[in-house]
Amino acid sequence: MQSAPLPESLADLAGLDPNSTPVMILMSLIGAALIGSLMMTNTALAGPWAKRKITAAFTDRIAVDRIGPFGLLIIVADSVRLLSKELIVPEGVDRPAWDLAPLLIASSALLGFAVIPMGNGLHLADPEVGLAYVFATASMASIGLVMAGYASNNKYSFLGGLRAVAQNLAYEIPLILTGASVVIFAGSLQISEIVAAQSATLIGPIPSWYAFVNPFAFVLFMIANLAEVGRNPFDIPEAPTEIVAGYQTEYSSVYFVLIYLGEFIHIFLGGAIIATIFLGGPAGPVLPGIVWFLIKIWGVFLFTQWARSAVPRVRIDQLIEIGWKGMLVLSLANLLLTAVIVGVVA
Amino acid sequence: MSNPWIAIGALAVVALAIPITMMVVSSLLRPSVPEQGKTATYESGEVPTGSSQKIKFNIQYYMVALLFLVFDIETVLIFPWTVIYRDAVSAVGMTRILLPMVVFIGILAVGLGWAWRNGAVRWVRSPRATKGADTYE
Repeated sequence: MQSAPLPESLADLAGLDPNSTPVMILMSLIGAALIGSLMMTNTALAGPWAKRKITAAFTDRIAVDRIGPFGLLIIVADSVRLLSKELIVPEGVDRPAWDLAPLLIASSALLGFAVIPMGNGLHLADPEVGLAYVFATASMASIGLVMAGYASNNKYSFLGGLRAVAQNLAYEIPLILTGASVVIFAGSLQISEIVAAQSATLIGPIPSWYAFVNPFAFVLFMIANLAEVGRNPFDIPEAPTEIVAGYQTEYSSVYFVLIYLGEFIHIFLGGAIIATIFLGGPAGPVLPGIVWFLIKIWGVFLFTQWARSAVPRVRIDQLIEIGWKGMLVLSLANLLLTAVIVGVVA
Repeated sequence: MSNPWIAIGALAVVALAIPITMMVVSSLLRPSVPEQGKTATYESGEVPTGSSQKIKFNIQYYMVALLFLVFDIETVLIFPWTVIYRDAVSAVGMTRILLPMVVFIGILAVGLGWAWRNGAVRWVRSPRATKGADTYE
């Protein structure tokens, strides 16, 4: 599993010198395109198809099944349909910000996958500050949400943007503090070292994944992640029954696609972070690493969809109280407790 | 070992290229039927009134952002500590590395308690905020 980063193995494969910078730039671009298309494929599968199928299964309905096997060709139909819609620019929008917000939301989430090891050598980069980097990119979307909410010149959008930022701020700290408790175990921010530290076995066949070593942190992280990606019970930024669609009310055509896409990439990025720091990255028996990685991120995706179908929404006051009074205190306690346990054991 | 930031930069290029390609493809495909009326912002079917950027909103959002700033800086200071913690325990002993952090988090906890008691993390509607008709939660 401890293999060279993707650009270097690509250079080896092509028989080029991995020490020259132009070769590395070219190979990095090829690797990045590979990672980018892999995640776009996942998102294309999840957005127009899997999400509908899962929600339909939860609510006892039949979803898309007309076009292609299992209705899979709805993905093609929907992308053509949405991209060929007219782009309506509402009156009084704050123009550069209104255009930049969908771009920022979609691309910031994709950036995080640079440091995620996906198994079988699919690991684009491995900087020493890997975990800090991935948290930084994951939280950049908040800026996009505020931009979208403020620039739309719509009261629903404005409220949605405010709610989105209040929620992301409140759950960012528990998320990062819980991530920090994993760093205490691993002693490094480098993603490959965090994954390698989880490769030993705990008891019997159970691997020492941090989800098993520290289940308390795992649960906290899963809840904070639900809030970060804005799914029930924390979906008040878009709350369809209250504020239409929140920050994305005024977006149509390709801009709507980009925001929607960004949300799904974000769910997968959350899943990838969870898989990497709590579920041993791409590790798993029998099957190759990439398959295990996909199983794990789709597992987290399924969890968010389950929560979306089954859990009622919290109110804004409850959201703030759960975040600041519950999650923050618990994550601080988790950090200190982890430090004490590691200190006693080490 | 090559510089990992080249690869990250490459992904940044790809991450921007994908949405921009979609925008270009869409601009080639989509129709444009400029028409008065459909550019009005959506306000549940009513004629929109005023600008949304001038509405009064709950001051609580500001309080939450202020509190976030404090705790976000705190996480920046906690991260280096977590990285060296394991090595430091074997080097200088657990109390010398843990105690300063306990004091640091203790100070923050007192701060959070103060904010808690003063209602900064409780979502209250002030009477002034709910009095006017042009105010929103």
